[in-house]
Amino acid sequence: MVSIAELMITCMAREIADGDMVLQGLYSPMPMIACLLAKNFHAPNMVYFNTADTIDPEPDFVPFSTAGPKLEERAVAYIPLSDVFDLAQRKKIDLIFLGAAQIDRYGNTNLSVIGDYKKPKVRLPGGAATAHLCAIIPTIIWIPNHNRRVFVEKLDFITGQGYLKGGQERKIKGLDGGPKKVITNLCVLNFDEETKKMRIESIHPGVELKEVIENTGFDLIIPENLKVTKLPTERELKFIEKIDPHKVRNIEFTKR
Amino acid sequence: MDLKEAIGRFVQNGDTVAIGGCGRNRSPMALIREVIRQNKRDLHIVGREKGMDFDMLIGANCVRKVSFAMVSLEEFGLAMNFRRKIEKREVEVDEHACYSIISALRAAKMGIPFLPIGGMFESDVLKVNKNMKEINCPFTGQHLVAVKAIKPDVALIHAHGADRYGNIITVGPPFEDVLMAQAAERTIVTVEEILSSEEIRKNPYLTTIPYIYVTALVHKPEGAWPTSCDVFYDSDDEHIKLYAQATKTEEGFKEYLDKYCFEKEE
Repeated sequence: MVSIAELMITCMAREIADGDMVLQGLYSPMPMIACLLAKNFHAPNMVYFNTADTIDPEPDFVPFSTAGPKLEERAVAYIPLSDVFDLAQRKKIDLIFLGAAQIDRYGNTNLSVIGDYKKPKVRLPGGAATAHLCAIIPTIIWIPNHNRRVFVEKLDFITGQGYLKGGQERKIKGLDGGPKKVITNLCVLNFDEETKKMRIESIHPGVELKEVIENTGFDLIIPENLKVTKLPTERELKFIEKIDPHKVRNIEFTKR
Repeated sequence: MDLKEAIGRFVQNGDTVAIGGCGRNRSPMALIREVIRQNKRDLHIVGREKGMDFDMLIGANCVRKVSFAMVSLEEFGLAMNFRRKIEKREVEVDEHACYSIISALRAAKMGIPFLPIGGMFESDVLKVNKNMKEINCPFTGQHLVAVKAIKPDVALIHAHGADRYGNIITVGPPFEDVLMAQAAERTIVTVEEILSSEEIRKNPYLTTIPYIYVTALVHKPEGAWPTSCDVFYDSDDEHIKLYAQATKTEEGFKEYLDKYCFEKEE
């Protein structure tokens, strides 16, 4: 039986190409495991940066805090995150995984406030690297709770820049990179090349199309040939179990 | 020097205070608790990705303004004091991205009023933050964002070891600790171990913050508790969970402070 965390982790890992320079941030348990998975399978030459300020760590198991000392084990070097952001600014980072409290059809994200910015109903933690990196490098957004409070018609605040108002606006405004995929607990989404509207790429096994539609607060583009998300292989699952014996991968789904 | 003297002498009401560490790792928690015990007021706290340290200071009414890229208790939930005080508009918000906080500190370290960066465009963070302005490069015309310097009056840092002159060794991630020490007018460091001057001189390449940046040094084993300190100890997640539970209400937080801050001898 494959858990939703394991499926999402494999989806994230598959977005990492061999040779990519990839950054994993704070409170990013699934991206952390996805990076280690990719490096141990199809992307041995990827460069793995993380919030413990290390390059290519080889921990025997992963920590709960994704900036924790475990991510220093068997690393080749320390690198302050400031240096990684310098690299990103020079367009030398290929990918970062980012979260979202709200997301719209163009992949713009909110991690700042629910309600009015000056008098918020909910003050959220803030976007960390989001507002800077979403303007310059490619991103993958992961969402463990695909529902209508997250997938909304209109954001209360744009922390992370997606395709803005769609079409070519992002390009016109001179932004680089941008959201490539959105990986949720129900499906994998991408963006239409022309309109930049969100489109279903594949639905996870056992999930009905209806479920995705009902849990999304705007109309998604539904392709004619709806694909089913590829399951992790036995070897991949074994690796995840080995690297994550404490089930850090589940902390976004079940309270510790 | 002890905690009391270090905070008493070198942190003033109204100061801009940069706080080291990241998430629940290597926060200068003993110093944070001493700031609260001494009832410092109107502080402007500065950090990149922060957790319990910021939340405690805000909850204890020590803070006037907060400059941050993220404040959360990671999987234990929202930082509730941070959330409450901002929702009640009792704390001024200076929301950043990681890189703009770093750039604001780098500018301070360099002694210049701002630093230009890329990115940020079209984010509402740039629109609401008055300390960032869009500019054009005078040479190339390139569109950039000028980030205003944040000059810390004091930096609070926890590290592994130092000699008695304040040559600091940090084992592990640098986070913004070194940058903060370089940018601040004064730096207070707590360390797990005091080393001999001979040990420092034997391996000068291990010194991450030389004494020239250090104003006060306090020998404080477990000074990062309940956050982690690399080779010495991991974060005390049970305690952070307890903190997350306690801070769900203001009363709960008060009880927490009484027990783990005011009544704690350190």
